[in-house]
Amino acid sequence: MLLLDADVHENIAGMRDLIPYLPSPYRDWIANGAWRGFSQPFAYTSPGAGNRADVRNPDGSASVSDYPLMKRQLLDPYNETYAVLTGYFYPTILKMQYAFGSALAHAYNEYVYEHWLSKDERFLGSIQINARDPEAAAREIDLMAERPQMKQVMLPVVDDIAYGHPMYRPIFAAAARNNLVVALHHTIMATGPYGMGLHYIERHTLLPTSMMAQTISLILNGVFDEFQSLRFIILEGGFSWIPHLMWRMDREYRQGRVEVPWIKKLPSQHIRERLRFSTQPSEDITPSDWIKLIDLMGSDELLVFSTDYPHFDFDDPDAAIPKHLPAALREKILWSNGASLYGLQPPKGAAAQTTLVTAK
Amino acid sequence: MMRHTVCQVNDVLAGGLLYKTAGRTNIILLRLPSGEIKAIASRCPHHGANLAHGCITGYAAGTGPHDVHLERQGEILRCPWHGFEFDIVTRRAVVESSALSLREFKVVIEGDDVVVEA
Repeated sequence: MLLLDADVHENIAGMRDLIPYLPSPYRDWIANGAWRGFSQPFAYTSPGAGNRADVRNPDGSASVSDYPLMKRQLLDPYNETYAVLTGYFYPTILKMQYAFGSALAHAYNEYVYEHWLSKDERFLGSIQINARDPEAAAREIDLMAERPQMKQVMLPVVDDIAYGHPMYRPIFAAAARNNLVVALHHTIMATGPYGMGLHYIERHTLLPTSMMAQTISLILNGVFDEFQSLRFIILEGGFSWIPHLMWRMDREYRQGRVEVPWIKKLPSQHIRERLRFSTQPSEDITPSDWIKLIDLMGSDELLVFSTDYPHFDFDDPDAAIPKHLPAALREKILWSNGASLYGLQPPKGAAAQTTLVTAK
Repeated sequence: MMRHTVCQVNDVLAGGLLYKTAGRTNIILLRLPSGEIKAIASRCPHHGANLAHGCITGYAAGTGPHDVHLERQGEILRCPWHGFEFDIVTRRAVVESSALSLREFKVVIEGDDVVVEA
């Protein structure tokens, strides 16, 4: 079976990896240790911290910045047709020094291109931006979009911005003119409506609420209506909330459309037509509940498989997407829905496979 | 179907909602900007609110964020409870919805009388 993995996290080994791609004065800042990168405001609690504990080199050292290791643990054993690299180094987290943030985004893109994308044709890339400087972000999108493996623009979800605000329009305009998907992924700063809570388990449980807020913001501020060719994917934000949000937004639209008449369609229609959701973390629901949920969504084309490798809450494709689901539905989740989103065809010679080769 | 004289033509004002009874049917009478008088069931097809407490307005239009203006002034009825919008000309809910439409009754003007068939 063809397999598209929509959320795979490559990384740098350290900030010094970016120095060759940074202009002055920022390369000097990093070289001098003036800034040591982002640090999450909480402790991870799983055995491998934020990552699977088995993401290790033969010498025992942990590595999430090692392409050969990812190839051995993910790409080859699961026979992934495509893996979308989504990063977790998001300069938008910087709340100041916007030019530095934009330079970091560009340096990271160059690093990923050289050290990851160029090494494997199965990789697809996400253009990282500093969303706090939308015009600079648009220039970065125009620049990186010339590289065919770059398929989407990454919008990181932090704690003080919602992307429906008109100030972000240059980002969407750039994504649209370059025929790129817009992806949203949480960050170490994403919160729920009352912050992160007091425990990591609260913070992690709250993450879907941040994506609900972004979906509401994007649709009700007219981004879907203004950029009608754009397609979106929410990564690692859950999907069992989709029916509720569609019902709620439609009801609100029926009674409050007069305030936002630039919205021309039912919000649920916008979602079904142009918003997709990655499946990880898949919440361990039964096959019967998968069917019920998809029935309630009103479409079997919304879900796109993802592993979230190398993070600790990794989804194995065979375990996460139940084999008892109808074969056609499983095929859509594992391949067709993502392929349609990113405009992909099976690579030559890949279409004949009918079963997943799994790694254990 | 019975014919009921429910009011005088001059009682029905543009922009107003006149609550009347036509036999055992509660109706509201309203006048479009064209001068045409309409009679519709007063019960909102959504949750049953009395539409006589609603308002006559226009169609809210806009092309982008913060652009709101009214078109077709006087042709939209909003429910007093949830604010659902109904197009008085077509009877249909403004927002696509499978079951929601106004129930309309035939109006005949006979001299100064407004006669409703209900």
